[in-house]
Amino acid sequence: MPPLPFSPKPSHSQRYNAAVVKDESQSEVGCPIEVFLKELNQLFTDALHPGEDLSFLQRLLDFAMEAVGGDRAFLALVEERTGELVVVCTAGLGWTPETARLRLSLAQESARGITGHVALTATPYRTGDVSQDPYYVAYFRDVRSEIAVPIRGASGQATGVINVESAVQDRFTELHVHRLVALAHAAASALRIRGFRARESALIEIGNNLITSLDIESLMAKVLNVAAEMLRFEDCTVFLLDEVSERLVLAASRGILASRLGEAPYRLGEGITGWVAQHGVGVRLERPQLDPRWRGLCVEFPQEEISALLAVPIMGRDRVLGVMRVVRRTSPHAWFSNAFSEGEERILTSIGRQVGAAIENIRSRERLLRAERMAAWGELSARAAHMIGNRTFALKGDLNEMQYLLEQKPCEEIRDEIRELAASMARGIGRLEEILREFRDFVVATSITLASCDINEVVSDVVAETFPKRSGIALTLDLQPDLPALRCDAMKLKRAFAEIVENAVSFQPHGGSLLVRSRLVPKDEQLRHNLSQARDYVQVEFRDTGPGVATNEKERIFQPFHTTRAKGMGLGLSIVKGIVEAHNGCVREVGTPGEGAWFTVFLPLADSDSTS
Amino acid sequence: MANVLVVDDEDAVCEALKRRLQREGYSVTTASSAEEACNIIRSRPEGFDIVVTDMSMEQPDSGLEVLSAAMRRDLFTEVIVLTAYGNVANAVESMRRGAFDYLEKNVPGVDTYEVLVMKVAQAMERRRDAIQTVRRLEQQAGRMPT
Repeated sequence: MPPLPFSPKPSHSQRYNAAVVKDESQSEVGCPIEVFLKELNQLFTDALHPGEDLSFLQRLLDFAMEAVGGDRAFLALVEERTGELVVVCTAGLGWTPETARLRLSLAQESARGITGHVALTATPYRTGDVSQDPYYVAYFRDVRSEIAVPIRGASGQATGVINVESAVQDRFTELHVHRLVALAHAAASALRIRGFRARESALIEIGNNLITSLDIESLMAKVLNVAAEMLRFEDCTVFLLDEVSERLVLAASRGILASRLGEAPYRLGEGITGWVAQHGVGVRLERPQLDPRWRGLCVEFPQEEISALLAVPIMGRDRVLGVMRVVRRTSPHAWFSNAFSEGEERILTSIGRQVGAAIENIRSRERLLRAERMAAWGELSARAAHMIGNRTFALKGDLNEMQYLLEQKPCEEIRDEIRELAASMARGIGRLEEILREFRDFVVATSITLASCDINEVVSDVVAETFPKRSGIALTLDLQPDLPALRCDAMKLKRAFAEIVENAVSFQPHGGSLLVRSRLVPKDEQLRHNLSQARDYVQVEFRDTGPGVATNEKERIFQPFHTTRAKGMGLGLSIVKGIVEAHNGCVREVGTPGEGAWFTVFLPLADSDSTS
Repeated sequence: MANVLVVDDEDAVCEALKRRLQREGYSVTTASSAEEACNIIRSRPEGFDIVVTDMSMEQPDSGLEVLSAAMRRDLFTEVIVLTAYGNVANAVESMRRGAFDYLEKNVPGVDTYEVLVMKVAQAMERRRDAIQTVRRLEQQAGRMPT
């Protein structure tokens, strides 16, 4: 038995050296049975906490070599994506950096070797003389005996292989095979638990990630990334159910279908996708084309190339919101099953549920915003009718007077009076138009079209357009350079900022100052401003030295019909609030009463993964 | 010359009404809120003959406030309430509390100013009748043996 120069934990391996039987006779090769059982037991216990690195597998492999008295060993795992066996741990002599990272293609029969054969058949294999073996492919010249045992996954397929070799002919017995099979079980447990842990933490992270999405569009982008991280597939497509038309609308796709977003190819119940939406149950199929429900109305690549399909419902609290579908292409590795496993269905189902919760979260927030505005609608209509009625009544009075004058007196005598009446009517019409503008702005405040833009440019434009050329107000612009681009509706934001600037100007008729500042909110300040920690915010501030806002008014000023100015309907700041909230931001007045108004607007930056 | 108080929070409306009523020979005072109107009513040595008030000003039913202030000052002051798409409930309530009439500001095809001038004249007539009736009653009461 040679020493173990490549073992990463020599002290550990040496523990067994004393116990290793030096006798070369076959039956007594390997460590004593009591040592074997004790360590096997320990390995099974430790398999419950395998950690994320390879140290557990390395320890297991070191012991496997000793347990059977081999002088070289390796552990290789099947890589599903490439269809290769990849060496991940080695023990014993003769490994070079190249051979220690060996990849065996399972597709190529000539290069498969004994290890590949075991991976494909998932049955142990033992040979006493490799030179006589039909499967043997030589990587080391001194090998004579070899055992290879599969590490089996949940479905019974090999997910890896443990391989031990010896330079001695007929070194190993069936007993040694049993020992390695037992150790392979421990390795399989560790791998499965590690897989579960990884999925569990990934799913939790996904949940957190999804729930912070502010709109369906960015949610969909995340969903695709998440699914790609968790599952191997050629394409993933998301359909959302339109409840009115009862059709499934293409909402996201990684592949060719991305160019058809917004189309509604399936009716509820139509095709496999429609069936999933109708029944709220997942479907997992190999060769889905053979299924009677198959319609092939909207496929990711040519029908004949699809070898497996997995479709799960996106579930809301009490109904199906859509369908997530992943497909695999017919694999070039014929030996390799391309079917989706039950475990993969569970993963996708779980993602589907989290996506459902995230969608409902987004929709209920939108509903809440809408409901708030709907409540204002009734009053808005009554007020608008009243104000328009009033102003029309005044106009009618002016018109009556004009007609009266024209009938009663010669034109030259009444010129001045007519001129005065005309001016009054022009004022009246101007005020009517103001009402109409406020009405329109209020109504459309929340419907925004997002585009990437420079917030500093928006702020500078507003100031240039709104701030009076000549005024007693000292203006200071303090814009943080190189702010990240913001996804926003620049026109709407301009309207909002202009309202605040106009307020600052009109409340300081005898002069004062206005500071306009923009900056990225530092992470450590977000909590103080009551902002979500999950994203970054840009802050735009407007600080004047006018009368400011009384403490008990700070909330009310943003309500519709709150005004201290005679102008318009008092919708100004409620329009600002509507626009900012439609951007998922918030606006507050934080000044000290008597010292001036201080409006601060927070706007969230898009998620870093969806900005591209 | 009869005294008329015009109350409306829209200055242009006050102006137009004042101009029109002055043309009919009335002496017109204006107020731009219910509060201002009440103060004027209370501080004048005599009550107004006629009060023309908007219903919805500071409050949706500010007109009622003006109505009660006017009638407390002089029971025979005639109050005409104007509404601009105001709710009928408030108009009915003002009638119940003794207003002479109510008038919608915006009725298509109707010259509300003409209608108002007519209503004001009718209201003046009723006020004169009422005052004469009370005087007669007072005189009769004076002649009656105690």
